[in-house]
Parts: sequence; C-alpha cells; structure tokens
Amino acid sequence: MRDLPYRWIEAIQDRRDYIEDQLRLGSPVVGLPYTQGSLLLTVSKGAQKIFEVHDRIALSAIGHPADIERLRMLVTDTASVQAFQSATEDVNLHRLTHYVLAHTFKQAFEAIVGEAYIIKMLLVEIGNGDAATQFTHINYDGNVKVQQEAAVIGGTTEIEDAMQNYLASEQNDAKPDLPTALHLALKTWAVGRELSQRFEEAEDNTEVTDEQIGEIINTELENGEIEVGILDFTLSGDTKFRLLTQDEIQAARETN
Amino acid sequence: MNHKGDFLSLLKHKDTLQVDGETSREPNTKALIHDAFQLPSQEKATYGTTLEIPEATTVVAMRYNEGIIIAGDRRATAGTAVVHDRAEKVLPIDTHSVLAISGAPAMAYEIARVLKHSFQYFRRSQLQELSVEGKLRTLSRLIRENLPMAMQGIGAVIPIFALYAPQTDESKNGGKIYFYDALGAHFENVDFATTGSGSIWIRGVLRYLDRWGETQLENMDQQQATVTILRLLDTASEYDAATSGYNAKAEIFPTLKTITRQGIETLSDQYLAECYAEVT
Repeated sequence: MRDLPYRWIEAIQDRRDYIEDQLRLGSPVVGLPYTQGSLLLTVSKGAQKIFEVHDRIALSAIGHPADIERLRMLVTDTASVQAFQSATEDVNLHRLTHYVLAHTFKQAFEAIVGEAYIIKMLLVEIGNGDAATQFTHINYDGNVKVQQEAAVIGGTTEIEDAMQNYLASEQNDAKPDLPTALHLALKTWAVGRELSQRFEEAEDNTEVTDEQIGEIINTELENGEIEVGILDFTLSGDTKFRLLTQDEIQAARETN
Repeated sequence: MNHKGDFLSLLKHKDTLQVDGETSREPNTKALIHDAFQLPSQEKATYGTTLEIPEATTVVAMRYNEGIIIAGDRRATAGTAVVHDRAEKVLPIDTHSVLAISGAPAMAYEIARVLKHSFQYFRRSQLQELSVEGKLRTLSRLIRENLPMAMQGIGAVIPIFALYAPQTDESKNGGKIYFYDALGAHFENVDFATTGSGSIWIRGVLRYLDRWGETQLENMDQQQATVTILRLLDTASEYDAATSGYNAKAEIFPTLKTITRQGIETLSDQYLAECYAEVT
C-alpha cells in the first residue's frame, strides 16, 4: 500500500474518519484554573476518567477505555521513573508530552497496518502559587495544543470550538473560586454533551441555551455522576492532586 | 551448633562462625550465610560481630487521643563527633504514614525515599491506596534487602513506622505503631515504641507512664502528649551523648509530627517553645 502515495493518504483519511466516529459521543472534559489551582471535570458512568499522573500533573481522556488505560500507564510510569532516578521536580508536562506521548500517538496513528489509539487526552500541570497553569490537549494523531486559560476535549473539533466559545463568553479576567469554576465547567461540559447528541441527529445549529444546559445536566445525572479532580497547590505534602468527593461536589453546586 | 530457630543469635554467634583458627566444625553454615546475603568476600571475615543494633539517635512514637505523635531528636553523629544538628529523622511517607529512622542515614533516607515512591506509584497506577499490610511488607522487604550492609556494621536501619488508618470507625483511634528488627520482621506496638541509642533510657519511663501515670498515654490530648514527648527526649539527651536536647540559643527543636484522621501535621517551633515552658 505504501508504494502508492495516494492510497496511503486515503488510508490515513479512512483511519481519521473511523477514529472521529468512535470519539464523537465521548463525554467531554473541561479544564479550568481557579484561585487555588486547577480542576478537571467530566460526567462519567462508573469508570474513573480523571487520574493523577504525578505530584502536580493530572490527566483525563475520552476514547476507548483500553487505550486510555495503556497510555495513562505509559505516562504515569515514565513520570515515576524520572522522579525516582533524579527528583520529582525534574518531572514536567512539557517533557512528558513532547518526548513520550505525542510521538506515541502519531506513530500509532500513521502506522496504518497497526492498531490506532482511539483517544483524545487532556493533561494539566500547576506551578507554585501564581506560576502559570498549563493545559495540554493531545489529539489522536499526535497534535499538541498548549493553553493557559482553559482547555476542553470533546468528540469533534466543532464541539470543542463551541465549548471554547461558551467558556470565552462566560469567563472574566479574575480567577474564580472552586464552586464558581466547578459550576462553569459543568455548564461547558453540558454544551459539549448537547452538541455531541445533536451531531448524532445531523443538526448544524451550535447554539445552546441555558435552559437546554440545565435540562441536559439533569438528564445525564440520572445515570452518571460528576467527577472532579483538582490540583490544589495549597495542599500540604508533595501530592497536589485529589478527587473531590460527591459530598464536596454537591456542596459546591449548592453554593452557586 | 543448635540455634533452635533463633536466626539472629546464629548470625551473632562469633565462635561458630569465625573463619580463622579453624575452630568451627560447621564450615557449611558460614558459606550458607555468605551466599544467602551476598556478602563481599573478606580474607578475615568476622560475620555477626558487627550487628550492633542501637544507633545514635532517639526516636519515639506514642498513641494519644487523636492518633499518633511521633518525634525524633536532631543530632547526627559519627563516633564521638557531632556532624549535624538539624537532621530530620521523622519523615512523612504519604498523607497518613510516617517513618522515624534510627541507623545509618544514607540507608535510612534511601529506604524512606523508595518507600515513598512505592506507595505513590501503587496509588497512581492501581487507583487505590496500598493496604496497611502492603505498606508494612514493602518496608519489611527494604529492611531485609539492607541486611548485608547491616551485617558489615555500616548500614543498619531500625525504624519505627506509624500510620493512621483513615477508614477506621470514627469512635476508635486508627493510629498504629510498628517496630521493625534488622531482618525486617514487624511487630505492632499498641501504645508506644522507641528506638535508637537513647531509647533504653526512656522505654521504661513510657511503660511507667502508661501503666501508672495520671493520664494513660492514649487518653492524653495533644498538649499533654507533646509535653510528655519533649520531656522524654530531654531525658534521653541527658544520658545519651548521641541524642540532642532543645538548643535554646540556636532555636533548634526536636521534630514532632502528629498523624490523625485529617493527616500529618508538623508541630511548629512556636508551639513547641510554648510546650517547653512546661518542660523546663
């Protein structure tokens, strides 16, 4: 197949269509900074979707659970070995992304005779105090996008764009506190969820009203539960990551 | 030689294990031990003669009404020389467990580092905390792997491992204290444990306080427990040259940490200074 370039490109395009089709209905993930760190939020049905990678790095993904698990272990192992061999301060997200994950994604995607990873990944790293938070979005083809203000992953690029637009319209310059950030992240998630269902019905309209947001949150929470992982730089000890309990999530929702 | 299953005595038995003089009729025992622990070959090996367990320090842990209080002095010595007066011997391992070390610092710090990484890696990869039994066995293995160094007299590590099991029923104290021997066996000490060269001076005091004191150790509040620990360390430093007391001039305080349901807290120098007012 490789001796005919146009067939290789065709095969890559087929693979792209196949992966995007598989990802389309994935539950989106939203990453937002708040006054004491950063959070990742999604709504999941049973399986955990937000993970601790290292002291200051967390991960979430949409895609096939087996691929998520394999790549989660890859990045977790690499970070642990690096920290053990030198120091935990020597582990950073830039290195993990560019030297470990991105080329692994790209290699699997372009090796058209092998299996592709059906995955989109969102990682977040917090610095000390006011030091910049970094969100890193890795696409299934190895493309990396780094953002500071906020980041999302959704089933398609269109869904992600609509979620980013919603965030941009709702966010202001001041960093929100945890309950406010959680509330905004949940509404942004609902925008992505609503759109992924619309695309299923071949609708082009990307406008989502507050009423629809409230409706989809209520519907989705009948079978799923909100999952929130935070990197909180005020936590004592080296590890800054923890998952919020359902009680904490409920309390945060009630304060808004 | 009939060691009756007491392996530690077997290791210490000089007459039987001495290489020179060919007095021993059990050369196979020597070879067995040599091979088992991969000891370096020496022309005049004297296995077992250097397994001196007490090391220059005093660390102590006891249960109080909220959990565990665990402490260590700050002195590091080499022979009769004081080489460092700000050594940290009470090391947090994860959110609810602490290792208090006595013995060769290089090995002790490395054991603490490996232990910390092991617990973190288990949690991150398996998505759950390592069980209490799993934590104890990990430390056992590390201590046992260190036995060749201990046998050569340069790297014995005898720690106290204390933790709080957060899943314990709220009406009960989830604090647990474990004491290790040089071979890695662990024993749960219900109310208190102490190790290091200064421990012999305070172990009996702890027993006395727990049995006949006005307030049983486990019923003390944090203030009472802190004052008790500071008094014990002061006593140890009085009789053990390798244990430091409170250095008022340089403001060097012992390290005291509490482990409770909420996690680990390092008691501040200011708080310790207030408590010292009751000690002196």
